[in-house]
Amino acid sequence: MAAASTPSVGAGDLALLLPVGSDTYAISLENVREVVVDPVVTQLPTAPPVVRGIFNLRGDIVPLLDTGLLLGLRAVIEEPYAVLVDTAHGVAGLVATDMPMTVRLSESVGHSDMEGTTETYLVDDERLAVALDVGILLSPARISQ
Amino acid sequence: MSPSESLSEGDFQRLFAAEAEGRLDTLVDELLELEKGGADPERVASLFREAHTIKGGAAVVGMTHVARVAHALEDLLEEVRRDRRGIDATLIDAVLAGVDAIRTLIPLAVAGEDHEAAAFEAEQRLRLALVGPSPGDAPPAPSTAASAAGTPAPSTPRASAARETAPAPPEQPAAPLPATPPQVDLEPAAAHDGETVPHERPAGDGHVAADGTGGHAEPARASATEMLQIPVHRIDDLVRLIGEASAATLRLGSALLERLERDPSGLTEYRDLVRSLNELQELALHARMIPVMSLAPRLRRAVRDLAHEAGKEVRFETRGEDAEIDRGVLERLADPLLHLVRNAVDHGIETPDERRLRGKPVEGTIRLHAMQLGSEMIIAVSDDGRGIDVGRVRETAGRTDSSALEMDDEAALYLIFRSGLTTATRVTGVSGRGVGLDAVRASLNAVRGRIEVRSDPGLGTEFRIAVPITMATLRCLVINSAGQAYAIPLHSVRAVLPPQPSASVGGRPMTMVDGRPVPISSLAWVLGTGNGSEGPAVVVAGLTRSHAFKVDDLVDQRDVVVKGLGELVPRLPAVAGAGVQPDGSILLVLEAAGLIERARRMDTGDRSLEAAEGTGREVPVARRAPSILVVDDALTVRELQRSIFENAGYRVKVATNGEEALSEISDERPDLVLTDVQMPRMDGFQLTEAIRNQPALASLPVIILTSRGSDEDRRRGLECGADGYIVKSGFDQSALLSAVERLLGAEQ
Repeated sequence: MAAASTPSVGAGDLALLLPVGSDTYAISLENVREVVVDPVVTQLPTAPPVVRGIFNLRGDIVPLLDTGLLLGLRAVIEEPYAVLVDTAHGVAGLVATDMPMTVRLSESVGHSDMEGTTETYLVDDERLAVALDVGILLSPARISQ
Repeated sequence: MSPSESLSEGDFQRLFAAEAEGRLDTLVDELLELEKGGADPERVASLFREAHTIKGGAAVVGMTHVARVAHALEDLLEEVRRDRRGIDATLIDAVLAGVDAIRTLIPLAVAGEDHEAAAFEAEQRLRLALVGPSPGDAPPAPSTAASAAGTPAPSTPRASAARETAPAPPEQPAAPLPATPPQVDLEPAAAHDGETVPHERPAGDGHVAADGTGGHAEPARASATEMLQIPVHRIDDLVRLIGEASAATLRLGSALLERLERDPSGLTEYRDLVRSLNELQELALHARMIPVMSLAPRLRRAVRDLAHEAGKEVRFETRGEDAEIDRGVLERLADPLLHLVRNAVDHGIETPDERRLRGKPVEGTIRLHAMQLGSEMIIAVSDDGRGIDVGRVRETAGRTDSSALEMDDEAALYLIFRSGLTTATRVTGVSGRGVGLDAVRASLNAVRGRIEVRSDPGLGTEFRIAVPITMATLRCLVINSAGQAYAIPLHSVRAVLPPQPSASVGGRPMTMVDGRPVPISSLAWVLGTGNGSEGPAVVVAGLTRSHAFKVDDLVDQRDVVVKGLGELVPRLPAVAGAGVQPDGSILLVLEAAGLIERARRMDTGDRSLEAAEGTGREVPVARRAPSILVVDDALTVRELQRSIFENAGYRVKVATNGEEALSEISDERPDLVLTDVQMPRMDGFQLTEAIRNQPALASLPVIILTSRGSDEDRRRGLECGADGYIVKSGFDQSALLSAVERLLGAEQ
């Protein structure tokens, strides 16, 4: 169900690049609703660390998730950008540590083994971006883990 | 522009769909009463009218297939109305099938889908049922199961006469559904709500009717000139816009203060505006409220069908007809409640033979009770069946989780809510239907509700659901803790205490509230956002416990439009939701029961809290809270009293009749017994006598709380040895508490 509403990004598609620490991830532009700069986050006590908090998006309450922890990596230190993603379970914000940029992806340069990701792409002829599988990454079960 | 020009055909169809839903519910309800009570001409006429109205409405909105089925339904009922056809299982089943077909056809028609075949099939079934026994030959209430089993139809007088004189059913041991149910163990209210006067609804809730003080009103069906059907989304829009207007007013107040340095609360016009908006909001929210019992027809039907299928005899009773709840919340409760009543029939109620062997009435009872408690609705589904086999639950869960084997009975009982512990393996081996109890709990979580279960082997099971009456706004106390503001629903706030040292009992920090010890913790520590607080303490009450939380300071009281945190955020028992404030900030709303449970766990896990906070000055606490045994068979009364006493700091145990009370007393002697009079098995007078006959209990205070206000009853109560006699009609909370205080003081 999640996959149907959250298409994976592929070669030739427009993608948004999410810088997270020293890594870069790509997400289909079709999944992205908007990018919020410097969201005012309210911490959610007793929530798992992957939930950095919630913020107000024009009257709606949106959870902000730690992209690093979601991928099983280190937690991010700050949250200067929130990339709002549409999922089958509602809208969620993913933290980006630098300004997200839009690119058109070229051919995949290899498969990514990391859970919640699909392919790896070369962008700007100099850095690699790993495409995120939003359907897997942003599932309630994974977030509860 | 005429009203009709402003609505599209789709709007009319949706309007008809909403209207038909209610009429079909009524139709089924009345039909099932007819099945049990016999051919009441008024009821038959009412059924005919419903079918006729549905037919007319369907034709007007262009649902021709629906109209065809309704027409066939009308024709069949017309035969009964004109005394040309009797009521038998074929007729009942055909009408139910017709209703089901209409329910299926309406959404299809709204969606513009073809449904010719389904309509034809239902119509044919109704036409075939036109041929049946003549009224004189027909039994009043044969069931599908009875005919299927080949049971000969009992020959009885005309059903209407049977209802008037209420004779005992003829001897038909093999018939699963007797025409007149046994009445011996029922209190008056149960009889009103169940079979004897099924057409009428109590004017008040169950315990009022039980007292004999509640009258009966005609069904709440106002005339067309008094009622107006409005699409739900219009009400929702209204509620939303009023909410936005309220928020804008608050922003206006802030702007007046900041830019013009005028305190808005000093302006009469501003105060009037705020007051009017508050009233408007209250009215609009009330417009979304519908009776909890509007779900009853669907549940009654499910009980009926499943009972027939399983060859069981089940009576479905309701209480709390006046209890109203937000439509959105109730919609979310429909599936969980359906699941619970189906479970009760499937796994709870025994077969007639089994019940006979156990000395129980052959007919089992499933009760749906609703009552409002503060801003929550408590809905209980109980049965008098075999109860849950906790040992088997533990064993089943233990196959995949060895820790389950170590659990005590209470903890093990809650394993039934675990995902993966299927209905089929849980208790009886009967195949499960639909969602599991884990999904029931998940559905309730989505509306900030919770579920509790209690089960007595051989006696029955009760599931108790607590949900907020409205999801829209909550009056909250706003406090600061560790630099963040939180809202605590005001209905959960029992008291606010000034900063004070706490005591320690068994290493657990306590404070005194109204002379009773209540556990106390720092809110920041419990939430994991900080350590100690030296400010005031807010005493919060859950369903069964109270707890004091130290905060930094109190801010104010305000109405918070509470929103959920979404599906992606895991369920956080201590957080009910969040509200967006006029300045755009987010206010977290805490959940009393979850917060108390978290505090309790943390308290028992870490006794060094007080030392860490530096507030551990030892103050001896004199004794533990006195306990009260509340004995009443009416859930509403029982839970109301439980709530009153627990909020006053007492420990409370409950029993549903005198026998159960004696058993509770032998397990643990309470400090006081508060009992009703009218109860099955052993009444309050007998209980009091039994207590007084035991020398060890001679000094145990007993208060009788009853609707029986006559001098003779009062004298009898006191002759039995009761220490106090309180009449419910003159009942008020403070009088009850002071009577209890007085007696407890005298004893100790």
